Amino acid sequence: MPVETIIGGWVATGLTLFIFSFLYKDNPLFKLAENLYVGVSVGYTIIKTYDTVIKQLIWRPIVENGEWSLLIPVAIGALMLTRYVPKAAWISRYAFAFIVGVGSGLAIPRTISSFILKQIEDTVRPLMTLVPGEGVTFTWSLLNPASSLNIIIILVGVSSVLFYFFFSVEHTGPGKVVARTGILFLMIAFGAAFGYTVMARMSLLIGRLTDLIEFSDPSYGRPSLWLLGLTILTLVVMARRSSNKQPKEEE
Amino acid sequence: MTFAERMLKIDRRIIFLVIGVCTLLPLLYPVGLPIKISPEVRGVYDHIESLPEGSVFLLSLDFDPASKPELHPQSISLLRHAFRKNLRVIAMTLWVSGTGMADQIITQVAREMGKESGKDYVFLGWSPGGTVVIINMGQDLYGAFPADYNGKSTKGLPVLHGIANLRDVNYAVSLGAGRPGVEEWYVFGKDKYKFELGGGCTGVMAPGLYPLLRSGQINGLIGGLRGAAEYETLMDQKGRAIAGMDAQSATHLAIIVLVIMCNLFYFSSRNTPRQQGHSGA
Repeated sequence: MPVETIIGGWVATGLTLFIFSFLYKDNPLFKLAENLYVGVSVGYTIIKTYDTVIKQLIWRPIVENGEWSLLIPVAIGALMLTRYVPKAAWISRYAFAFIVGVGSGLAIPRTISSFILKQIEDTVRPLMTLVPGEGVTFTWSLLNPASSLNIIIILVGVSSVLFYFFFSVEHTGPGKVVARTGILFLMIAFGAAFGYTVMARMSLLIGRLTDLIEFSDPSYGRPSLWLLGLTILTLVVMARRSSNKQPKEEE
Repeated sequence: MTFAERMLKIDRRIIFLVIGVCTLLPLLYPVGLPIKISPEVRGVYDHIESLPEGSVFLLSLDFDPASKPELHPQSISLLRHAFRKNLRVIAMTLWVSGTGMADQIITQVAREMGKESGKDYVFLGWSPGGTVVIINMGQDLYGAFPADYNGKSTKGLPVLHGIANLRDVNYAVSLGAGRPGVEEWYVFGKDKYKFELGGGCTGVMAPGLYPLLRSGQINGLIGGLRGAAEYETLMDQKGRAIAGMDAQSATHLAIIVLVIMCNLFYFSSRNTPRQQGHSGA
């Protein structure tokens, strides 16, 4: 096995265990891993951005291919840096105005089309479908996403939830029933979202534990076992130190 | 203090330990619980299966190492499937922090399947702009990515022969862990340039993407580790996702038991003062 893979295994194991040590309590090992994570990810992002944007998308096309028109976006981008000079900071507004204008122009029509019009179109599907040779049909299968029963459930859900957020009318009498139905649908949606979130978090735990099991292999030098021992030892020493400090402070 | 009250004030580290043990044991001693294939995962699989040899498959790996446990198995399975079907694979990422990992994934699977960079697949890397990159690719693929990840000019690459923009892509799948991800690929990609789109996402994001699935805006969705395990089952290749399913089930069971127990203890502790109050009166 290559040396860099073994070193990678030790580093990954150590950092995983240091992060997990927070579950016991906050400690310097956790802080070390946390700061390393932030530092490495920011450093990586800066280097990748410099390499891709400055070198490959600006420098090379301009110098090697003579694409001078690229100087226009470069100039607009450079205007943003004037934020660091208080007297010239107002110039950066032109760059922001350009970005906000282009961004809104691109996003607003596309978002309305994709998330409002298409979703409304899907919500108000016809209840009866005309199947050639079979006539008009009404499907009851909950497992079929396009079934007529599902369409009714979605229609009731959307209407009742919208009514729940309609505060101009007091939720009394029949309105209360509709609003309560809306709450029920919201609770089911929150429950499903929470269930998926739990699943996702457990998947992350499974991913780390799978790696720890893999790195407990002798071919890596069993970093999982050695570093687990080291982490536990550090936590015990820290706990003893803090318990020794407390009586002294009391004296 | 009653037993229920003591249980409600239990040290949270004991619960962490229980969850940890419930996850670790099935990983060490797998049971092999059956995995049922959902229609949304089958949607992606069937569409790739229906593509003829040489079709253009775009895989956007829009995640970083923080979502690796869920989306890494999905990307491995999708790439294996695409290479097995001899599709022309264009891989890329909209997340700068995931560039190195995406390159590692595609290089690993391509080597395993005997595929050649530039001829059978290309990894375009990352380009700044997020959603703007998608629009740019829709207009001119070579303008968005003048060079691939290795610095080789994209113009003239055999794998990109006959491809000018996103309209020439037969099927695109975005494996997204956030934004930009599946939604952006629909809004700025499929809706405008009319190619078929599938999605893969972390478990947290899956409920938010189901409306797109139902309305036919995406033709399939691989959700979280569970979705990855289903895809591995369809591919008949046991990977990390299938290996994690027993642990997933055990952990979910433990959480359900804990939720039920907490509720029982809560209600019994709430009833105790009332009963005491009644007997006192």
